[in-house]
Amino acid sequence: MTPKSAGILLVLAAVIVESFAQLSLKVGASGRPGPAAGLLGRLAAGRRAGFPPAAWIAAGVALYVIEIVLYTLALHRLEVSVAFPLGSLCFVGVALLSRLLLAERVGTVRWLGVCCIIVGTVFTAL
Amino acid sequence: MNQRASKIPPAAVAGLIVAVVLDTLVQIAWKRSVAGIPEAASVAVTMRVVLGSPYFYAAMLAFGAQLYNWLRVLALADLSFAQPFTALSYIAVLAISHRALHEDLSLAKAAGVALILAGVFLISRTPFHTAAPRQNAVKPSPP
Repeated sequence: MTPKSAGILLVLAAVIVESFAQLSLKVGASGRPGPAAGLLGRLAAGRRAGFPPAAWIAAGVALYVIEIVLYTLALHRLEVSVAFPLGSLCFVGVALLSRLLLAERVGTVRWLGVCCIIVGTVFTAL
Repeated sequence: MNQRASKIPPAAVAGLIVAVVLDTLVQIAWKRSVAGIPEAASVAVTMRVVLGSPYFYAAMLAFGAQLYNWLRVLALADLSFAQPFTALSYIAVLAISHRALHEDLSLAKAAGVALILAGVFLISRTPFHTAAPRQNAVKPSPP
């Protein structure tokens, strides 16, 4: 594998890990998710998988540390102009996971905003 | 829609501003703590350089404050609403490193900044919190 493709895989892994880190922090911060809080919220509040908020926060922090390591390793193999826009895909990852697992309403305007941000980061990295 | 957008609690707005500032500090301090490490450096060497840098400890301090603040924001707002605001720290980092390097802002970078601002503006116009379903639609379980 060339350093470049390894770098791209590392950034994508970092994006996925960061999205789950954010999700985990959100579940931890919400404390008691409402009835509409989606699959992960129900898991957090549920009787079978009733992890306390602190466990979700700790998991979020652990995932964040992993993300930082992955991203730093990626930056050794990629130019910033590639790594930076790829890294901004975490905005897509977070929006998708919030929609699917937390039942947040991600409407057209919010998606449009996410798209603007990603195209914007491509331009700032040029 | 404007009515809904104006209902964002002031604590959430303040939290988002603090989050962008702290995120910028974390990024700059982290960049400085890993700056100058050769590309081929082993993990052990990298660790030694990073742990020996005062910027690393500044980054960790800012990271701790960021975590505390971010959890407070997430308790108030949707994750898919709050998280895109952190893109504003990209702009702050860009501005700070440009000042440091005394470079002119290129047209592409200016366009990128405008697009990020537009994106964050669009998201700020969306409802900050997904309302729970109406009580008669879904019967909530007793606490």
